[in-house]
Order: sequence, then C-alpha cells, then structure tokens
Amino acid sequence: MFFEKKRETEVPPHPRREPRIALPLSLENLKRTFCGCVDFACRDVALAGDEARRITLCYLNGMVKMERVSDYVLRPMAQDGALAACPSMARVMEQMEAGALYNLGVERREDMDGAVADLIGGSCLLLFPGESAALSFNVGTEEKRSITPPGSETVLKGARDSFVESIRTNTSMVRRHLKAPELKIGEHIVGRQSLTAVDVLYLEGIANPETAALAAARVEKMDIDALLATGNLEEYIIDRLATPFPLVQYTERPDRFCAGLAEGRVGLLIDGLPLGYLVPGTLGDFLRAPQDKSNNWMVASLLTVLRYVCMLVTLILPAFYVAVVTFHQEMIPTRLALSIIAAKQNVPFVSAVEVIILLVAFEILQEAGLRLPQSIGQTVSIIGGLVVGTAAVEAKIISPAVLIVVAVAGIAGYTMPSQELAGALRIWRFVLVVLGSIGGLFAMMMGIAVLVGHLAGIESFGVAYLTPFAANGGREVEGHPILRQPLPRTKLRPAALKPRNRRNQG
Amino acid sequence: MRRWVVAWAAAAAVTLGLSGCRTSISLPYAREIDQMSLMQAMAVDAQDGGGVLITASSGGQQGSEGAGTPAAVVYGRGETVSGGVLAAQGAGESYLYFGHVGQLLLGQPLAEQGISAVLEYVLRDVEMRLDTRVYLTRGGQAGQAVAAAAQNGSAADRLEAMEENAGLLPHTMPRTVEQVLEDLARSGSSFVPAVTADGELAADGYGVFKEGALVGWARGEAAYGVNLLLEQVEADVVEVVRSDGTTAAVRVVGAVTSVRPVWRNEELTGLEIACRVQANLIQGEAENLEELEQALARIEAARIRQALNVSQALEADYLQLEQAACLAQPWNKKAIGQQFELPALELSLEVDAQIGRSYDAR
Repeated sequence: MFFEKKRETEVPPHPRREPRIALPLSLENLKRTFCGCVDFACRDVALAGDEARRITLCYLNGMVKMERVSDYVLRPMAQDGALAACPSMARVMEQMEAGALYNLGVERREDMDGAVADLIGGSCLLLFPGESAALSFNVGTEEKRSITPPGSETVLKGARDSFVESIRTNTSMVRRHLKAPELKIGEHIVGRQSLTAVDVLYLEGIANPETAALAAARVEKMDIDALLATGNLEEYIIDRLATPFPLVQYTERPDRFCAGLAEGRVGLLIDGLPLGYLVPGTLGDFLRAPQDKSNNWMVASLLTVLRYVCMLVTLILPAFYVAVVTFHQEMIPTRLALSIIAAKQNVPFVSAVEVIILLVAFEILQEAGLRLPQSIGQTVSIIGGLVVGTAAVEAKIISPAVLIVVAVAGIAGYTMPSQELAGALRIWRFVLVVLGSIGGLFAMMMGIAVLVGHLAGIESFGVAYLTPFAANGGREVEGHPILRQPLPRTKLRPAALKPRNRRNQG
Repeated sequence: MRRWVVAWAAAAAVTLGLSGCRTSISLPYAREIDQMSLMQAMAVDAQDGGGVLITASSGGQQGSEGAGTPAAVVYGRGETVSGGVLAAQGAGESYLYFGHVGQLLLGQPLAEQGISAVLEYVLRDVEMRLDTRVYLTRGGQAGQAVAAAAQNGSAADRLEAMEENAGLLPHTMPRTVEQVLEDLARSGSSFVPAVTADGELAADGYGVFKEGALVGWARGEAAYGVNLLLEQVEADVVEVVRSDGTTAAVRVVGAVTSVRPVWRNEELTGLEIACRVQANLIQGEAENLEELEQALARIEAARIRQALNVSQALEADYLQLEQAACLAQPWNKKAIGQQFELPALELSLEVDAQIGRSYDAR
C-alpha cells in the first residue's frame, strides 16, 4: 500500500512508445536506427551474379553464425538459377519465402520493430529494392555454456544436468524429461530494453489453468527496462512485497523443475538465467530438499524433521538465550547458569548487545565470504570465525556462551534448502532478539505470534503460504505435512494446488 | 496494513499487561545474569526474641580460570521470612537470586514452632521453587550448619551429593516443599529428612510434622521402615545371621507395599499392610535361601513396625496411610475419611522377602 501510494504521487508517467520505431522499413532507416553500432553490417549481394539485381543483406556481427549465412543464404542466392529467372524482386521474395533458401525459419517483416527485433535476436535480413517488406532468416549463433552439473544444488542420486542461460536449451531439457504433448510452453517478451523471453510452462490437464493464466498475466503485465536478474521477475509476480519470505521457488535442476510441473505447479523460464521458477511456493516447499525423493523415505522424513527443528533453532535460539539470561534465569539449570556467569565475568556488554554484535559480525562474515572468490572466502570465514571469535572471547569482548549460541543458530540456518528462506529467518531472528531483550519470553512469544500471523496472511498464487499446516482448501491433507510417505502410497497431488487431475499414479 | 499493525500492537500491549510480572509496568525485570549471585541453599531459623534469621549460601563456584570460589554466605534478620530475605539482599555484593535455591534447611527450634509460614513463602515467592528440597537440622540452628558447611565447600554441594546418592542411603530420602505442602494439606501430617546440625550435614532420619509443627522423629530403624513403606529402597545392605551362626549379606533392591483397609460390620477396624521385599545375596553361601528370606523378612518387618509405631504414637499420619487405603478402595473413600482414627486402628503387617539371585561365580 505504501509503495502504491508513493507511485501515485511521485512517479511520473511512463508511456510505452508504440510502435517503437515509427519509420517505414527500409535500408536507410535500419542504418539510421543502428547508427553508431559497430556490429551492424550490410552487404549488397548480386542475385546469381546479375549486377543489376542486388539484394541487401543486414545482420549484427556476433549475433549470427557466419557459416549459416554463407551456406544457407548467400550460396543459394549466388547459384540458384530459379531465383535468377524470377521476373521481379517481388517474385524473388516470394520464392525465397517459399523455401528457395535453405533455412528452417523465415519471416516476412513489414515494420521496423519486427525487423530490428529479429536482427537483435540473431536473424539476418534481406531487403529487396523497391519492396517495403524484408525477409528475416534465423541464422543466430548457438554459442552458449554447455550443460554442467548444478552448482548450488548438490546431487547425490539423480540427474546431473542443470539449466543454462539459453531458454531454448532449457525448454528442450524440460521436453526431454516430460515428453507429454500436454506440456504447454507460452512465451512472453519482458523488458523494454532487454526484450527478454519468459516462458510459462505447465502440463495441461494437470496444472490449475487459473494459476497458469495468472502467472502468464503477471508476466505479461511486467513493464520494466530490463529483465536481467532473478529479482526482476520475482518481485513483479509475487502476491505480496512486504515480506522477506520467498513466495516463488527456484531451481537449477530440470528434474526438480519437471517434478514440480508434474505435481501440478506452473513453471517459468527466463532467457539468460540458468534457473527455473515454480509457482505457487509454500513454506513446506522451501523446507524440502531436492534429494528427499531420492533418499529412503524414513531417512528423508528424519532429515525433514531435522530441518524444521533447525528452522526453529536458527530463528529462536539467540532470542531465547537473551530472554532467559536477562529475564528468566530460573529456567536455566543451576550448573549451566553458573557456567554462563563464570564465562560472562568481565564482559562489558549486556547479553542482548553481545548477541546482536555477534549476529551482525556473523552477517558481515557471511557477506564477505560470498563476495570473495571461493578460496579467499573460505579463508575469510576461517579467520573470522575461528581467529576473531576466539580472540574476542579471550579479550572478554564477548562470552563463549554467546559465541556458541550464535554459531549454533547460524549453522542451523545453513540446513535450510532455500537460502531465501534462511535470509528471511535471519531478519526475523534479529527482530526476536530485540523483542526478547525488551520483554523476555513474553515479548518473544508475541513476536512469534506476529510472525505466524504474518505467514498465515501470505498467499502465493492463491495458495496459502502455510499450506498444509494452516489451510488446505478445506480438504484433508494427503499424507503427512512434514514426513515423507513412501512414494507408492502417495497417490494424490496436493489439493492446495487445485490440480485438474489429483491422481498421480495407478 | 496499518490496521493490522494497530491490531497487533494492541494485542501485544494487552498480553504484556496480563503477564503479571510487575504491577506498575507490565514488562518483567531485566537483570543480567552475571550481575547476580545465585543462592543455592537457604536456612531459616527462629530467633530468640522472635522473628527469623535467614542464612543464604551460594554454591562452591568454579571460576573462569578453574579456581574454586568459596561459597558466599549472607545473613538477614526479619520478623518474617520475606523481611529476612530483604535484609539479606542488602548484605550481598550483588543481587541475590533465590530462583536457584535447591535446598531449604529449617532449624529445629523453628520447626517446633511451625514451618507453615516458611513453606507458604516458598509457595508464593516469584523466585523460589516448589521443587526445592527441604531439610530439618536436628538439634541445632540450620544457619550455623550452612555456614559451617561453607567453610569447606557448600551446604548445597553436600546436600546435592546426598540427594544423588539417596538410593544408597536407605534411611533418608529427599522431600520437596511441594510434597510436604501436599501432605500437610491432605492429612495434616508429613515428614522431612533430618540432617545433623554440624557442617557435615549427615542424614539423621526424619522429623515428623503434625499441623505444621515438629512433633517427633523417625530415626534409626524407624527411618528404614519409612523408606520400605514408601518403596524408596534401592541398595540397602542387610546382614542376616543364619541359624548356624554364619552371617550373610543381602542387598535389598526394592520394596512393594500395599495398604488395604479392614472392615468389620462396615466399621473400619484396621489396615492390612503387606510389603514384598526384593533382595540379592551379595555375600555368603547361596544355600538355604528360604531361611535367609525369613530372617530378612523379620528384620524388615521390625523396621516397618517401628515406623508405624511412631505414626500411631504421635497420632500423625505422616506416612499417608489414609490416602493409601483410599486408593486401595476408592469406593469407600468417604467412609475411610470419616472413620480413620490412626491410634485406634489395628495395623497388621505382613512382610515377604524374596532373594532373587546371587553372583555365584562358581
């Protein structure tokens, strides 16, 4: 609400120019459009060696594959006698469009916007003297990163391919995993400057069509300069901005992406980003690790429970320590209380300040480790964690108990499969510490109540964020909300996703 | 959004107001744990001129460098326990925190006057705990015993060690303030383990309370009987003399006691008390165990009988026999309550001993 109000009062209008280039399609206008662009190239080609009949070839260097231009465009033009025999340029154009050139895709462009977009997309344009239209042939390069194992999602048992920056490669990987013809892939162009392709994928007959339509509508509604980073998409399609919790799940593993599609969710792929998004995203999804379905169901259940415990530990432990040490000393076992007192002797800060200082230091160390190359990052972590921590304890700046509490909370946070969720928990950890230092367990519990209320009020594409704990569309939860049941017994897709077909196996 | 913020803020204010930790401001007190001294043992004694003397002792703390810190002992006098504690607060170098008092020692003179006020203080005080163990110092002031114990360790450490070894001490058992309060509320009688009034704080039977005041003792064999009746025996070693003059040692590892009311023409005439003692032969020949079992049963029966005699002589149901009888026949609870006159009841006792196994390496 605050953001909307601000936009209404302060942000000037931002009308979209339609058409973007209000000029007729011609060689001169193309040159004018790409004036100052060193990669723009034009070449006149004589049709079958007839100097009187010249066709202009335009392309952007680096965007096209030269061999393709030479073999599939220039060679037929130079050697095809049928083309040479055409009485007019209009007829030549028709012949080429009908297949005289050996290219898979050809488009007739009659306006500057389409022609320019094709050039940027890796096509070459053929302009015919006296004709107002041009032919566009897709001869783009296929230079892209090869498919490698996922970097951020460890795979022990499972497919080792991962998404790359090319959206078409990504859709092909999805097609290889899900060969069903019901897999629908709709494309939208987002970004006035980047013109990024965003594909919306879903399995027709399984995914809720309303969710698919909603995702497509939100992507279509995006009017930004450039879609270059993940946040450029996430923050525009989620239901609620005023929350640190992730509402869209992402993965770089096609198998996980496809599993989400098969479950009845809707996927999004963005050209230039080696990630696939899945919507809706609920809290339980962010606590499920990709390898859960590869593990034995009992092991997976145990690990999932462990993750939930770690979520509570990373969220509550520092605040609980501050509250107990400052307000509720009777809750501490006597020997532990004596140990804490002995460890805290001569430490100048109160417990709350100690914890906050160390939490901030922890965040700084983490940020420093992320921004540096991996080898240096590890060194920074070791120096920061061990050397500085030990020195701070020995110098009586912080007490060992606080160091242990913050370290345990931090390590517990690393068990979260989603770093976005871990980040949200870190923010709330600070809030709870402050509350715990103000009003002890009472204030801390109030903070937790607010947090639960906040989570209960969030929806992701029409699905309650706390599904299946707080809401499941009024239906009974299939299986256990936390534990993973043996897969042969999980015969229904989650009801909260409102799939068209709930059965997922015989 | 703003509506929600206001709603949450109002809910927070109301909830904090209901916390009840402070009357003026709703938030509880914030005290840094390192700025407080944890009291672990508290002694309450009656003063000659009236009022009470509070003696509080910390534990023998280990310093950060591993060096032991002697237990701090503070004193406070007041007309009431609260007044005495407040006076003691002023005597300490830091805030005295009584939330970790694990042992409450009561002097014999105070116990003879009555301990209800002290127990009520523990019940109502925000820091004190109901699971505090309560002890009676026999023949002296509790404060002196605590101070003497602090010369070499602390009273809390000694009593904690005794509590941990309670299974090995068949003539004592720890009792909490909560248990004593429950007994007094239920039957008007209870018992509290007694310790010697010197710095050793050795176990010395039980003090029997009636209507909140010390009325007698269950010491020696009677103390063993109390433990048997309440099934608090884990490792009592009993030496049994055989008919051939040899001595065998058995370890009593358990006792199961049942109490059953006896009726005659709808009149409660007595209680049948049956105790099954389980023991292991630990020394001596594993022959003629039946003779050993009979001898052991006689010894344990004598102990239980002494404990029962104390109860009847003092007219104090400190063993909660009435409650045990009601639990045995809950449908007669009302009648038992109306007719339960301990001195008039005939208490028949049957003890059965079982020596289950031995460690015969041959």
